[in-house]
Amino acid sequence: MAKEKKDGSFWLWVIASVIFRLVLIYFPKNLNLASRPEVSTPLTSLRRLAEGYWLKQSSLSPYAGSMYHGSPLLLAVLGPLTTNGIEGQPNNLLCSLVFVIADLVNAILIRAIGEKLQIAYSQSLKSLDLYTISKSSAILPSRDIAALVYLWNPFTIVACVGLSTSPIENLTILLSLYGACTRMVPLAAFGWVMATHLSLYPVILIVPVILLLGYGPDTPPRKLFLHRRCDKIDDNASSDRNCHQGEAVKQPELANVFSWRSVNLFLLWTIIWSLYVLVLCGIYVKQYGGLGEMFRRTYGFILTMQDLSPNIGVLWYFFAEVFDFFRNFFLVVFHMNILFMILPLAIRLNHRPCFLAFVYITTSSMLKSYPSVGDSALYLGLVGLFVNELAEMQFSFFIFCVYVGVSLLSPVMHNLWIWRGTGNANFYFATAMAYACLQIILVVESVSAMLNHDRELRKLSTAAKLQESSKS
Amino acid sequence: MAESETPRTKQRPIVRLGLFLISHSLLFSVVCCAAGVVALLLLPVLAKNTYISENALMPGSANPMLSGEDASEANKLVKEVIALNSKSGASGIKRQRLIAQYMSDLGAEVNYHKFHPQGVHFHPLHFFSSPGSGTTERNISCSLRGTNIVGIIRAPRGDGKEAIVLVTPYNSVKINQGEAMSLGIAYSVFSLLTRVTWLAKDIIWLVADSQHGEYAAVSAWLRDYHTPVFNGLHTIDAEICVVANNLHEAKEQPTNERNIYDGFRRAGTMAAALVIKVLDRNEQFEDSLSIYAEASNGQMPNLDLINIVNYLAVHRQGLRAKVEKMWSVIDSKWVKTLGELFESLGQLARYLNPQWKFGIPAADYVEGTATLASSLYNQALGVPTGPHGAFRDYQVDAITLEISSRASFDNKNSRNEFLLRGGRLIEGVIRSVNNLLEKFHQSFFLYLLTSPSKFVSVGVYMIALALLVAPLPMVAASLYTDANKLDSIQRKDKPTASASVAEECDVNLRSWKWVNAAKKVFVLHSWGSVVSLLPYLVCQIPNCSPTASFLLWVLLSALSLLIMHLILASPFFHATESQLHVGEWAILKSVTISVAFIGLCLMSVINFATAEIGGLLVVPMCLMAHPLKLDLKVWRLKNFLRVAFNIVFVFIGFPPATFMVLKSTFEGFNSFNVGDFWNWVESLWAWNSATYLYIVMVHLPCWTCKSED
Repeated sequence: MAKEKKDGSFWLWVIASVIFRLVLIYFPKNLNLASRPEVSTPLTSLRRLAEGYWLKQSSLSPYAGSMYHGSPLLLAVLGPLTTNGIEGQPNNLLCSLVFVIADLVNAILIRAIGEKLQIAYSQSLKSLDLYTISKSSAILPSRDIAALVYLWNPFTIVACVGLSTSPIENLTILLSLYGACTRMVPLAAFGWVMATHLSLYPVILIVPVILLLGYGPDTPPRKLFLHRRCDKIDDNASSDRNCHQGEAVKQPELANVFSWRSVNLFLLWTIIWSLYVLVLCGIYVKQYGGLGEMFRRTYGFILTMQDLSPNIGVLWYFFAEVFDFFRNFFLVVFHMNILFMILPLAIRLNHRPCFLAFVYITTSSMLKSYPSVGDSALYLGLVGLFVNELAEMQFSFFIFCVYVGVSLLSPVMHNLWIWRGTGNANFYFATAMAYACLQIILVVESVSAMLNHDRELRKLSTAAKLQESSKS
Repeated sequence: MAESETPRTKQRPIVRLGLFLISHSLLFSVVCCAAGVVALLLLPVLAKNTYISENALMPGSANPMLSGEDASEANKLVKEVIALNSKSGASGIKRQRLIAQYMSDLGAEVNYHKFHPQGVHFHPLHFFSSPGSGTTERNISCSLRGTNIVGIIRAPRGDGKEAIVLVTPYNSVKINQGEAMSLGIAYSVFSLLTRVTWLAKDIIWLVADSQHGEYAAVSAWLRDYHTPVFNGLHTIDAEICVVANNLHEAKEQPTNERNIYDGFRRAGTMAAALVIKVLDRNEQFEDSLSIYAEASNGQMPNLDLINIVNYLAVHRQGLRAKVEKMWSVIDSKWVKTLGELFESLGQLARYLNPQWKFGIPAADYVEGTATLASSLYNQALGVPTGPHGAFRDYQVDAITLEISSRASFDNKNSRNEFLLRGGRLIEGVIRSVNNLLEKFHQSFFLYLLTSPSKFVSVGVYMIALALLVAPLPMVAASLYTDANKLDSIQRKDKPTASASVAEECDVNLRSWKWVNAAKKVFVLHSWGSVVSLLPYLVCQIPNCSPTASFLLWVLLSALSLLIMHLILASPFFHATESQLHVGEWAILKSVTISVAFIGLCLMSVINFATAEIGGLLVVPMCLMAHPLKLDLKVWRLKNFLRVAFNIVFVFIGFPPATFMVLKSTFEGFNSFNVGDFWNWVESLWAWNSATYLYIVMVHLPCWTCKSED
């Protein structure tokens, strides 16, 4: 009964958010969001996509004139929508509707992922005999919180209404995570291939996706299960207290084994999907220089940071200042930064692949060359999934306040610099740096809160064990 | 939390410093607030002398070339313009034609710019958008039409990409002596500039028709200047009425007006603009020059522009430069005593060490404070002090020069003399600006003036505000940690077995407890935005007296608050009120304080003066706030004092009450009327002032939060 009521209120909020978006779409001129640097980057701007489509229609290369830098497939799907408007309605209404639907689907996917995570987590807690923690919070289950946070996050709304393609990019990422959670291997592979194709940075998500497919959704540290099992075996056998790995593996019901089969399947599907995407793209851009040109104009544009117009990231300022002969060196350094994080984090958090994905998304959205608020929308939605685990997170209030402050201050600084002329680039860059620092704090705090949570679990499980042994 | 207490012994110094500050937040907040107020009062003492920062300007390096001949020619124009006053009939059109004739005789390109002054728009989002974007809709009424005359001299040495603008507002229906004299000054300079060889920037002389307000005329011209229309249809909407009204004008267009064009003429981007005005009333002591610089939202032109005007006026033309002062401050006793105090402190410092140059004479201090107060007030209002404000919206540096003469304009010699001086001043300024290679960028944009030759830069005045608002995050942090600590102690006291389900969830999400308080504050702030939109509705009612509309506004706001409380708030608040305990209000207060801090910081970037004044009102209120219920339970002197302070601060913090108190202290009680507040607010939103947004979206909700406590 109570659950139904909660469900009802959840859907009510979802519908309200959709209506809110539709209302905002009707005032595009007044809000002028599509021209904000926070919302539309060279990669995600719909205006550029329309330009690319127009070039294509007039038999030119869509990449001519350095206007469009996205995928040809996106051009084929969204391009026709940019030209066909409904009479008497705002321009780009159809595109906006597509983005609203994408956002809605994203929220539902987040909720589904959350459900999977919750079920798996409570199961694994039960197997550790830690019933007390598995009680869900009284307000709303974490999956609903995450979905609502995603839908009502001002960043998401702005990115959706501001005609940027980031809802679609987020959709592909979430598809791949969802597919990996539910072990739908072709879907996971498709999501990952598309996400990589659209915005390159999700390529690092292959690690959490493989972990998800191999080990299943997030669990407490695997060592705990091992101990637990040893103890059970010990109790049964009443033998001495050393426990071998081999004994643990023998237990069939504990899915602690890395399932190579699904991973191999995933790799196979990945190859199939990427070939498919490449063939489609190849057909589309055949007359205009082929795939080589496409890669140069999309991935090359992302990696070499050609557009130095201001955005909420930190790289534009740096590469506007840096000497030309150091440019390549620093390009390598900055992109290595993302890659350096992968291995240590993967080792430390390999039992929590979804959380690992969240950390990767946050770091890449901090260090990517053309970040927008759409990326933040995604990771802020995902952080809602771990609200129970991160309950003890420090500075949550501080982070929230700084988020509010920075997101208000950044447009003001931009206004001071561009329109009023009283400020300069440093003002705006200062807010960009604050924003980057904030994301670092968010990552550091959430990771440490998660590790603390694991420690707490270990403590509780040993306590439970002691209790049990004292009882017996 | 015994386990977590033990490892806390060894912490990094910065954390220890933070904890120290948080634990002594009361002391620090009192000290910081006091220091902030003292720093604000010290600003006149800390003001530096202005200096010309851009080397290329070189003011006064060339001898003025304006001769008596130009002046007497200008005098002729003045006489003819005034003479048209006495004639009946279409004197306005004749006068326009006369001025245009004079301009074209000099060889300038002339065109008439017909415009419809735009009504006041209510547009809270305007601040964030570009100046030209949200202003397409207009309803044309033929009676409200003005005609500016624009003359352009093409520079012999320029490439036509840059221009300097001279503006002389005049009332085309009935011109007065001062306006005619300002026309004369501009004409004398203009006639000189047609002959000189050094000109590198085009000169635009805009004779603005001020019958619908000076600002409207100038801003209409600027809007058309900056929104080029390429299909040639742009004149149509302006011409609809013209055809009907002025048929005769078109017929008798004389053939000898060779340089008068139909279309809109443009020159390049504007480097600077000077608005020239002449005051009619005679000055008592000497010829003087008043400089007005404040544009919308507290923006100021580059300080270098004021510097060169001040330098040339004082050192070359012997005019006395003035900036606006708040006269009530000059008369007040306590400022005088404060000035004497600072003077004696300065003497003491000099006695201790002659190297220390601290302190200024008391009279200077009073003068500086009065100027600073008016500077702060004008910037905080965000309403431009003259037509120069329109230029700042397009990033053009502009000031208004108001010249007044000691001698009367009745006799010809004194008139010539005055025209010569004024003209030479303008010529010097134009010559300096003409030397510029780039836009003004060297000197300050963010400053406060304490006299025409003294300024307080952003680096100095920000200290005052920073000290004032520094307690806010500290107190918020200390309240937050205290509440959390209290909570954990409570938790430990209670045996976990008997804890209810609600308690359980509370425990579960301990560090997310602020979410409820944040929701509450968010609801109140969204109420603030509703209140900010209400005047739009109120304005739709025709024939409403200011008092009535104000009362209507208040009523509607209260109603919306009630509705919000009933509909939006109840599902949220229901859960929290049942478990309301001591920690709850502390977290609510901490959230409110953080929001106030964010708002003040934001406002300090947009408009420093508003933030400063708002900070003076909000900070004590925020820090003192304490629930009345808890205080009234215990009758002790401390609690009683706190209650009394709270009530006083809450009363002062309510915007209409603030307005009333300030007005009555400066102007006396007798002139007060509730409708004034409405008029004041109306002027604020008419100018798209960010102050208005600040008041209703930050100040008012914070105030409401406090008073709900």
